[in-house]
Amino acid sequence: MSRTEGEWEAWMAAAQAGDAAAYDRLLRAALPLLRAVARRRIVNPAEAEDAVQDALLTIHTLRHSYEPARPIRPWMVAICERRAIDRLRRQGRRGGRETPIDDFGETLAAPGANKGEERVAAAELRAAVAELSEPQRTALRLAKLEDLPLTEASARSGMSVGALKVATHRAMKVLRRRLGVEE
Amino acid sequence: MRSEELIGELTAGLRPVRRMASPARQAGLWLGLAALAVGLAVLANGLRHDLQERMLMPQEVGQWLASVLAGVLAAVAAAMLARPDRSWRWVLLPVPALIGWFGSLGWGCLADLARLGPMAGQIGTSWGCLRFILAMGVPLAAVLFWLLRHAGPVRPMPVLLLGGLASAALCSAGLSLFHHLDAAVMVLLWHGGAMLLLVLAGALLGRPLVMRRQA
Repeated sequence: MSRTEGEWEAWMAAAQAGDAAAYDRLLRAALPLLRAVARRRIVNPAEAEDAVQDALLTIHTLRHSYEPARPIRPWMVAICERRAIDRLRRQGRRGGRETPIDDFGETLAAPGANKGEERVAAAELRAAVAELSEPQRTALRLAKLEDLPLTEASARSGMSVGALKVATHRAMKVLRRRLGVEE
Repeated sequence: MRSEELIGELTAGLRPVRRMASPARQAGLWLGLAALAVGLAVLANGLRHDLQERMLMPQEVGQWLASVLAGVLAAVAAAMLARPDRSWRWVLLPVPALIGWFGSLGWGCLADLARLGPMAGQIGTSWGCLRFILAMGVPLAAVLFWLLRHAGPVRPMPVLLLGGLASAALCSAGLSLFHHLDAAVMVLLWHGGAMLLLVLAGALLGRPLVMRRQA
């Protein structure tokens, strides 16, 4: 038995004798354990915390039935498990009427289904690009997307460096206007 | 309310409590009371005339001892299960005695079939059995439920079932000492039936007793 365990048992024995400070120390020390037990069974954090409080009340009610010779953790865990199961049952009976929405940032299981906004934006961009003239599209692709130096872009496209600069600039202007971005 | 605040409230008005006796002591206390009550009832009714004769038959003695053992072990199991941290396996404690007892009764039925002829001829009514087991068993079970009322918030049902079984088995054992039933099938039917009734009544009606506010 570890030192901490023996400590808890001693605190409970003192609490049975009326030592409020020992009782306070015990319950505060046990809180993380009770929370872990409740959260293992109950997903909803608020509901789990309610189960922890139910467990605290039951521990308080049954404190005279604790036998100090026995380890207190299994005693507390068993009580907390029972309260968590009670909560779950009540939740189950209520289940048809309520759906917690906190955990549903993603609404659908299909991977593409939650990317609607991205897809609309992509479609708008494609439509905007389609409005560009052929030289503007070429200039944009080489200079911005492939990020080539102007001389190489000029060699590949057969457009002069000056023409590429103008075409790229105009293409960006068209896209900004089309997508509603302020100059 | 946050749990930390609840802890503050629970500890603020803390009063000393009297520590409860160990489960073994609680079971012992109740068994003593049950033995006294059933013993007095047996004496009041007078031992059955053929008791000595029957106590020479090993199977009869074994059967009777198994019924007492089932009652004792069921009471111990109920007291253990009333504590949250005790293993649920305590439920199994009275099972071997129970199987031995009812197995022996079943075997007795087969033996009677050879000895007394067809079952139908052996079956009659024995309301006295039912009356005794219920009249004696209900208050005894109620006392046990009250004693183990701390089971209410944690594990009420197994305690109610085992408590009912403990009372019923001890009453049946007491009844066997003064009430004359020859055919095993009658014992099986009337003792077993009354026990089942008592266990069901305990499970259905005992809840308010164990769910009472704790002392």
